[in-house]
Amino acid sequence: MPPVFGTYDLDVELAEQHIELSLKGDGKRKVYRRQVNDDEVTKYINADRGKLIVCPVEPVNAPDESISEHLLIELERPLLIEPGSTDTFYLKFPVEVGSFLVDPTDVERIDIFTLTKPKYTLYGPPESGIICKWWKSDVYSTAPEVDRLFEGVLRVKITNNYREWMELAKLVFGAFDMKIFYNDHAYMDARLVIEKRTIGETSFNARKPKGMHRAVDIYEAKGLKKLEKSYVIEWGFK
Amino acid sequence: MNLHINLQGAVMDFWTMELGDMGMTVGELVTFVLIIAISVVIARIVRVNTRRIMKERVPKNTLSNLEKLFYYGIIIIGFVVALSSIGFSLSGLLVAGGIMGIVIGFASQTVVSNLISGLFLIVEKPIKVGDSVNIDGVDGVVEDVRILSTTVRTFDGVYTRLPNDKVFSSNIQNYVAHGGRRFSYSIGIRYRDDADRAKEVIMGLLEAHPLILKEPAPQVFVDGLGDSSVNLKVRMWAPSTHWYGVYTEMLWKLKVALEENGIQIPFPQRVVWFENALKGDIATRRDNAG
Repeated sequence: MPPVFGTYDLDVELAEQHIELSLKGDGKRKVYRRQVNDDEVTKYINADRGKLIVCPVEPVNAPDESISEHLLIELERPLLIEPGSTDTFYLKFPVEVGSFLVDPTDVERIDIFTLTKPKYTLYGPPESGIICKWWKSDVYSTAPEVDRLFEGVLRVKITNNYREWMELAKLVFGAFDMKIFYNDHAYMDARLVIEKRTIGETSFNARKPKGMHRAVDIYEAKGLKKLEKSYVIEWGFK
Repeated sequence: MNLHINLQGAVMDFWTMELGDMGMTVGELVTFVLIIAISVVIARIVRVNTRRIMKERVPKNTLSNLEKLFYYGIIIIGFVVALSSIGFSLSGLLVAGGIMGIVIGFASQTVVSNLISGLFLIVEKPIKVGDSVNIDGVDGVVEDVRILSTTVRTFDGVYTRLPNDKVFSSNIQNYVAHGGRRFSYSIGIRYRDDADRAKEVIMGLLEAHPLILKEPAPQVFVDGLGDSSVNLKVRMWAPSTHWYGVYTEMLWKLKVALEENGIQIPFPQRVVWFENALKGDIATRRDNAG
């Protein structure tokens, strides 16, 4: 059976690790079935044209997309950055998979699921902080090997414009701005600019890397306009 | 040159020409119409800009009321200015208006109070549509914040209208104003149970739940030594929009997990000491009686 990520006709069966996904039926009447461990979703779909896309999506949608629009990655070991320097590091981020029906005019989300165990955290003080999807990652100097349905690779170019050494223990990204790409694994290319001891800005590179596909943008699929082009970290990096 | 002077004179004559018995010159009429027209234009500009600036910030109904308030307010001011420009004495109008104002003021002081409170609520924004709140003892979800009143749908589905002056002067608890919310349980375990093991079991369950926040971290500690039990306090934070689901789910899960690990929640019990020791043991006495 083909791997999970990809673009398929509306008659397909996919299976990989603990994920089983199928879209089958006669004529326009089809049944979408997805099973991840004990979690099963079945939907009837009335369609005879278009494609099914299964791809990684912004990792803030499962189990409930209304909880958070931010991803906080806590570093297993803090990273110290010298003043005035720019360097590139790699982190891992949790993978959430979306399945979409697409035709030339519209994109419709069918389902979002994940093999990861979701967890949330509060970033900032209780009176003004934000709820973020939480993930823990080590810092790598080269792109790490990943279990493709579990974690993706996040390349982060960090610039320290502050006059002092900076210790980073957590990085926060806005999901509105995320650009996800995939081939055999999910990939994002981000940038962090540290401006002050507690202030920085994270953003994402929209340029598609060679040999990769652009994932369906869930906010565009929802018909939401993207107003924010970056996220301003206000409450520090520890 | 002469032609220019003649033209100027003709215009002046026309400008100062009396209009029949109206006691008004053409110039005054033009000024009157111009002031009204300018005030209408200003009112429209203010209305459009109010809509543009406040569209995302205030509810639709409130915005509509504000637009009307600004629009007609400016036109009324323009009308009063226009009247004074044509020599219309406003003193009579002011006296009549003053008396009417007092009468209307007394009659509508509650309305005005609600209106002013509504404006302050819109500016201060302690609540917004969709928030879960407690206002003056009314628990529910804010349906609308209008210029005179706020409507709340209570959690049991009842439509409740609260006058804005009451909302403004009451204690407001907004359950979702902050991202996270803390809640707690008290759980008693037997004196013979291992409290450290109980804390470990509880912490394991809290850490596994996706909606119990990683930070601020949950807390489990011995809170008291009760008559019948060692009392543990379990504190946790959850997203304020989803806390109630977690709150209703976790207590039973904690109870089941503790019991699965051999930790019991005891019934109330009391140890009774007899001043004089009983003669023989109860089993022997029962056997003898039988």
